[in-house]
Amino acid sequence: MRSLLPGALAMLLVRAVSAQETAVVYGSVRDSSGQPLRATVRVVNGDGASMADAQGRYQLRVPAGLVIVRVGLLGFQSLDDTLALAAGDSLARDYRLGPAVVPLQPIIVTAAKRSQLLSQVVASVALVTDTAVARRAVTTVDEAVDKAPGVQFLNGQVNIRGSSGYVQGLGSRVLMLVDGVPANQGDRGGINWDLVPLEDVARVEVVKGAGSALYGSAALGGVVNVITRDIPTGFHARGRVVGGWFADPPHDIWKFRDYRGAQEGLDVTTSYGTDVARASFTAGGWHSDGYREQDRRNHWQTAGKAQWVPSPETHVTASGSWASDQYETPLIWCIQGSCDDRGQAFQPFMIDASGRGAFTRSDKGLLAATVEHRASERFAWQARGSWGRTDFTDFQRTRDDWGAANRYGVEFRGEVHTPGDRILTVGAEGSFSDVRTNIFTGDPNPTSNAVRTHDQREFAAYAEGERQRGRVRLVAGARIDHIDVDGAGLATVLSPRLGVVLPTARTGVWRASAGRGFRAPSLAERFVSTVVQGIPVVPNPNLDPETAWSFELGNGASLSSAVRTDAALFWTEAYDLIEPTLDSGRIQFRNVTRARLVGLDLAVTATPPVAGLTTTLSYTFLHARELAHDTVPERPLAFRPRHLLTLSADYQRGAIGVGGDFRYTSRLDRVEIYEPDPRVAERVLDLRASAVWGAWTLRAQLANALNYIYSQVPRTLAPVRMLTATLAWTY
Amino acid sequence: MAGCTIFPAETAVKLTLRRRAAMIAPMRSRVACAAPVAAVVAGFVAMVACNEGLQPTPACPSGFVGICGTATVRGTLPDSTQGLFIVAYTTFPESIKALLTFQPLPPPAVLLPPPGDSTLFYTVPLPSGRYEWVLAVWQKKGTLKPDFSNADSLFREAGFYRDAGDTTSHGSGIVVVNGSATDSIDFVIDFGHMHRICTYFPPCP
Repeated sequence: MRSLLPGALAMLLVRAVSAQETAVVYGSVRDSSGQPLRATVRVVNGDGASMADAQGRYQLRVPAGLVIVRVGLLGFQSLDDTLALAAGDSLARDYRLGPAVVPLQPIIVTAAKRSQLLSQVVASVALVTDTAVARRAVTTVDEAVDKAPGVQFLNGQVNIRGSSGYVQGLGSRVLMLVDGVPANQGDRGGINWDLVPLEDVARVEVVKGAGSALYGSAALGGVVNVITRDIPTGFHARGRVVGGWFADPPHDIWKFRDYRGAQEGLDVTTSYGTDVARASFTAGGWHSDGYREQDRRNHWQTAGKAQWVPSPETHVTASGSWASDQYETPLIWCIQGSCDDRGQAFQPFMIDASGRGAFTRSDKGLLAATVEHRASERFAWQARGSWGRTDFTDFQRTRDDWGAANRYGVEFRGEVHTPGDRILTVGAEGSFSDVRTNIFTGDPNPTSNAVRTHDQREFAAYAEGERQRGRVRLVAGARIDHIDVDGAGLATVLSPRLGVVLPTARTGVWRASAGRGFRAPSLAERFVSTVVQGIPVVPNPNLDPETAWSFELGNGASLSSAVRTDAALFWTEAYDLIEPTLDSGRIQFRNVTRARLVGLDLAVTATPPVAGLTTTLSYTFLHARELAHDTVPERPLAFRPRHLLTLSADYQRGAIGVGGDFRYTSRLDRVEIYEPDPRVAERVLDLRASAVWGAWTLRAQLANALNYIYSQVPRTLAPVRMLTATLAWTY
Repeated sequence: MAGCTIFPAETAVKLTLRRRAAMIAPMRSRVACAAPVAAVVAGFVAMVACNEGLQPTPACPSGFVGICGTATVRGTLPDSTQGLFIVAYTTFPESIKALLTFQPLPPPAVLLPPPGDSTLFYTVPLPSGRYEWVLAVWQKKGTLKPDFSNADSLFREAGFYRDAGDTTSHGSGIVVVNGSATDSIDFVIDFGHMHRICTYFPPCP
């Protein structure tokens, strides 16, 4: 003991002297939009290094004197900071890193149901990052994805390369996933874009073209995967207040109210995590007066996520989200004689009087649990289960329509890496959907108010292999789906896919793929029985799945260090598309349409030599034809624009950012109803600005800044100019 | 030292960047690049003015008997304009004297268009019947002589309705009024290509 004492005293003395000869630098590291970065902060001319935490906070002990601190993170421009520090100083330094000129290769998880580099993907993928989402002061996921290359929304219905058209939300030909879990409605097959709070979204991957070889039904035109944020360690909180104001109608003769419409909302997110267990919770809501008559909406939502990491190889995740909407139903706009038309042929801000008083209550939720385990370097597996619920009631003057639907899903997937850079993905998936309703009853009498229950089962197995042969990456796979409605087997569909990726030194990365997509009819399309605007809508239980062969040849290249391009030629042959058909005075969904969609997707991202400026251009040319069938001659496919152009630019200088998007959509060649109504091309300019002060972020967006008045679908006014401001606080 | 000092910060702290070219070069390229970007932005703003797209479209009033439509106006209204009228004939007039058989009588004047290209919504009350020639008539300042002898110098055909089945050189859009309003009788009024009466009833003096 005595012999140890002098040594201990000596050590304490050395440490005390050492403390006096050092200083502390602390602060935060964020990207240009204010998002925290887990950057490395180190001393260049001496010892000392630290890594920022999930909130971007760091603390670094440095030697006293002149010190050069370098802040860096892969994908961002590193920054050197020269500090003159006296011993014992404690200096706060906040750093902001701009993006690197050559961005990192993004990791994609949707195209092959596993992580892979974007350059290894055989299909075209559009990526919407959380930075892109954060830049836009929007409230729902669809508003954030709306400007992605090749993606178009028609009154809330997503179109990838013209796949869906517009069928009033029924039967989406795009599959929506939330963290890889299918989330399309069990009864109508549509998508609830407000199911996931935007605050929880880390990024959105949009895979274009048929994806049924891995995802089965609904992935006929593409897949949209909404990926939520990882939960960071430690305690974190975020609050956001949103306020918005709608422009008044631009002409006095269109005015319909004597006050300015507004939107206001509040949401909070909190999370706590350790290395073993993490949880987050989000709750919020908003109210909107809407921009037209009878367009008010209340929205409430909550979401939670829990992660358990018992070992580095095993991750267990459970998540749930629930949203409730009560909204007035604007229905179609007023034409002469159907409201106080003021002598006008149509009143776009007013509604047809027959729809007055209509409103909808809609509740939807999604629960999911996933277990991921990496058994070895060569084998990993994942199992998941999910339950989606939708419950709606349309309160109308004539008859209230309602439906309560469930969709239960399970999936088991294995991923095998074999020697020779071969990867095999195999899996099995099952789902059960049911609906109890008075509108999707299958009753041949459309005026009947009977209540019925229908269900649909889907069983599937799939496998996809990938192999590297020299520079060439080959992909081949297939999925078989069996669909069973009301206990009676209905259809078995085989969906194969072949693909190849060829990186070259001079012309970038080439990719080619061919695959089959399909969509099983939704329960709503099979069994709808109602009356719409006086026209009976009758059921068709024997609808067949619609199918498509999709081909693509694409190239991604860097023309210079500042310009990247991605182009793809695509060709889709679609068979038995399900469309509402008016025949003998009644409407029925039928497998009638044979279609051909040919086009070009082009995306150019340029980083001009102006610090902080990024620009993107995306253009889609689409030649969509409905081929001749029965007595119908060949004609344009309805609701598909020939040209879709989006220009975006963002400029960031310090804590201040400005940007904008311009979207041009050519006038629709054909619509299905109200064909003679006036329609125009879409020219919409969105402007945005942001400022960051420490933990506070203020964003403003002027959507449709030029207040361009247009409709995407017949007699439905598209959103007018709206100024939105969001103030967020992050801890 | 690796890098150059951009500016000395307070408390003797300096921010440095890693070695790069002198700042003057990037400054030039910033200006060079900002100009086309600004030009593109300005171009878009100029291309799409505010409140464009769908516009108010008047309709035939309910209970109205006659025709309505939109006249697309091109060219500049002459300074010597006395009035602009839209009239209809049951058959194409076969003589100058038959020009007086138009409906309605007296003809209601159309609101004169503003300078430049524009659109006019018009309504013309007409008795029920079939009309073969609906046209816009421009009238020059002056007084019409009782014998109608100076009509050729005072009136011009400024545009007429032509339906899809019309193959005649003078234009003959068939319009039927049947106890209510007949809408969408749309045509072009072109002040740069007006025709004298003698064009239809030659010779022209």
